[in-house]
Amino acid sequence: MTQASRPSSRGAVPGILKGLATTAKTLVRPTHTAEYPDVPPHLPPRSRGVIALLEENCTSCMLCARECPDWCIYIDSHKETIPAAAPGGRERQRNVLDRFAIDFSLCMYCGICIEVCPFDALHWSPEFEYSELDIRDLLHEKGRLGQWMPTVPPPPALDERSADPAEIAATTRPARGASKLVTGERATAGARAERARPTRSVGDDSPSGAAGATPGEAAAAEAQARPTPPPEGEDQK
Amino acid sequence: MTALDVAFAAAGVVASASGLLAVTTRHVVHAALWLVVCLGSVAGCYLVLGAEFVALVQLLVYVGAVVVLVLFALMLTRAPIGPNPDISTSPLHRVLAAFLAAGVTTLVAAALLPLAGPARRRAGTATGDLASALFGTWVWPFEILSVLLLLALVAALAVSRMADRQGPDAAQTLAESAGDPVGKPLAEMAGRPTAQSAGELPAQPAGERA
Amino acid sequence: MSQPIEVTLRALAVLVAFLVLPLLVGQTEHKVMAHMQGRLGPMYAGGFHGWAQLVADGVKFVQKEDITPAAADRWVFRVAPAVALVPYLVALAAIPLSPHLVAAAAPGSAVFVLAVTAVGILGTLMAGWASANKYSLLGAMRAAAQLLSYELPMVLAVASVCLAAGSLSLTGIAGAWSPWWLLWQLPGAVVFLVSAVAELQRPPFDMPVADSEIVFGAYTEYTGLRFAFFLLSEYAGIVVMSLLFAVLYLGGWHGAFSDVLGWLWTLLKGFAVAVLVIWLRVAWPRLREDQLQRLAWLVLVPLALGQLALTGLWVVTTA
Repeated sequence: MTQASRPSSRGAVPGILKGLATTAKTLVRPTHTAEYPDVPPHLPPRSRGVIALLEENCTSCMLCARECPDWCIYIDSHKETIPAAAPGGRERQRNVLDRFAIDFSLCMYCGICIEVCPFDALHWSPEFEYSELDIRDLLHEKGRLGQWMPTVPPPPALDERSADPAEIAATTRPARGASKLVTGERATAGARAERARPTRSVGDDSPSGAAGATPGEAAAAEAQARPTPPPEGEDQK
Repeated sequence: MTALDVAFAAAGVVASASGLLAVTTRHVVHAALWLVVCLGSVAGCYLVLGAEFVALVQLLVYVGAVVVLVLFALMLTRAPIGPNPDISTSPLHRVLAAFLAAGVTTLVAAALLPLAGPARRRAGTATGDLASALFGTWVWPFEILSVLLLLALVAALAVSRMADRQGPDAAQTLAESAGDPVGKPLAEMAGRPTAQSAGELPAQPAGERA
Repeated sequence: MSQPIEVTLRALAVLVAFLVLPLLVGQTEHKVMAHMQGRLGPMYAGGFHGWAQLVADGVKFVQKEDITPAAADRWVFRVAPAVALVPYLVALAAIPLSPHLVAAAAPGSAVFVLAVTAVGILGTLMAGWASANKYSLLGAMRAAAQLLSYELPMVLAVASVCLAAGSLSLTGIAGAWSPWWLLWQLPGAVVFLVSAVAELQRPPFDMPVADSEIVFGAYTEYTGLRFAFFLLSEYAGIVVMSLLFAVLYLGGWHGAFSDVLGWLWTLLKGFAVAVLVIWLRVAWPRLREDQLQRLAWLVLVPLALGQLALTGLWVVTTA
């Protein structure tokens, strides 16, 4: 094509004949048209259609809402006190999700919220047919976001001979210090995991209300990683 | 009174009316468009009279080419929408034109009216007859006319080409041949330095005249 | 022709052909161009492969507001689409489909078709001037320059065929046709085809309506039905020129079973030429204005004159 378009090198006639030949060849080839409403498109299984919410996994940690570049995630939550399971036990508090909404008229489908979610509450779904006549209807509340969950494809299979996924490995592998106090090791690991969750959410919600908390040694070790040591949650008292 | 007579009369009336409108309207482009109507209805007159080929050539040449050329030239220069007050003639011109028109009408009427008589059935002019007349009896006027047109064509081409040609000899030719105020800008357009042409220009025509 | 009923029937037949054939060509253009570009083209209107797309377009055009610009020359602006459209309607009447199937048989029908189509340019000129729009005026001037330039080679090419056949009537020319003409009149045929595409202002000769340069040329200010008339005249022009090419150079009704299926042969040949015109539009880019004039005056006119001389020599020597 580029050679034929130069009149000095080849002359005009081969070029215009080549143009005719190209269009004639395209005429007899199958077309590339995607007849979309009639024929569903072939999308890659993990394409970014809509964000689905697995409500049970959400701890209202607000990470997604804060990382969102468009600020299009709205989260409301309140705390709930769980009575002690055993008599004489301690009451626990947990966050209850009141509202989780994503405004898809603002969302730019960057996927940062899904990346940062520590508990796999947000997932990409390949569904994309949720256009609306009114832009306000693009604000999907948690019920609607939850409805996308069945369309989320399963995670890709691991390679053959690869290591077990972290979740399974953690349950099957014996703890590293198995000869020592196994239960104690497990307990501290669990406590650390429990602790990591509320520290941020509480620090975000009521930084002044948690001023009276006494930082433990584990929290002091963790505090080196953060610029300001956040106060401990109430359940750590 | 046959249908052909009616058609001829209608075409004639349209031709006269549109011709009148073409010369009286103050809209330049409208005048050209009325001319189209006029020439077209004259072609219709030919057709009714049985000269089919002449009618078609009238349409092809005059309506399809000549008036289009006129319109093209009008649009290239200045053809505002709306009446143009510049197009007006003085009363003296009008009177003279009226006298001229009356004279021509009298002449034509004097020549044609004695011929008018009872309607005769005329056979249509075959294209073959037309061709043999054109290229037999009238071949010399026809050829001289075509040579004249060819001459005009070549001359027009020469004039337009000379102004375009770059180089001192072309400018020289222009300046020499013109010898009037038009020559200087033309020479400048042809790429000649202004000072040089201004210095030489007055001398050259003087020398030629002497 | 003496009975009024027959005249009415013939006129009606031409009108129906005038309304149906351009739509057929338009739909073919939609589909052929789409497939040449790897697309499908219209698929919905009418159900089966979008066959009613142009009907739907027509309905849409009828519904649109008919706007006359305030600064426009009102009457010229409004009459221009008709002036562009009617010549092709009249020309279609004179084109024979078979020796006996012609709406208006005329002894000089070849000249008639050329003369009448030459009038159509006036519509474009009137539209361009009366729109009071600089793009329209530019488009009209381009159209005038182009059509004047290509009129000459076209007339010369047709004259060559007329000379070869010894007749000015399209029926007579197609009757005198022999397959030998395909070679003998080939330069004339090429000249005619190129000039016809240029007269129709179709790509690669669509400078008068070049949308990337002058919006839509002379038709910029037109809306609704009047705009549709201009479009219809373009496609009717393709029909007229294709059929004319088929009759002049491809022998019209010559073919197998020409006694019965002659009209079909003419239509098929004309359709093939129309597809070729569409094909050229898809394959080639637009020429520049100066290239256009060079092609007309330096290539086509000498070629047509050479063809005319060749035909004249042959006719004189063999006669």
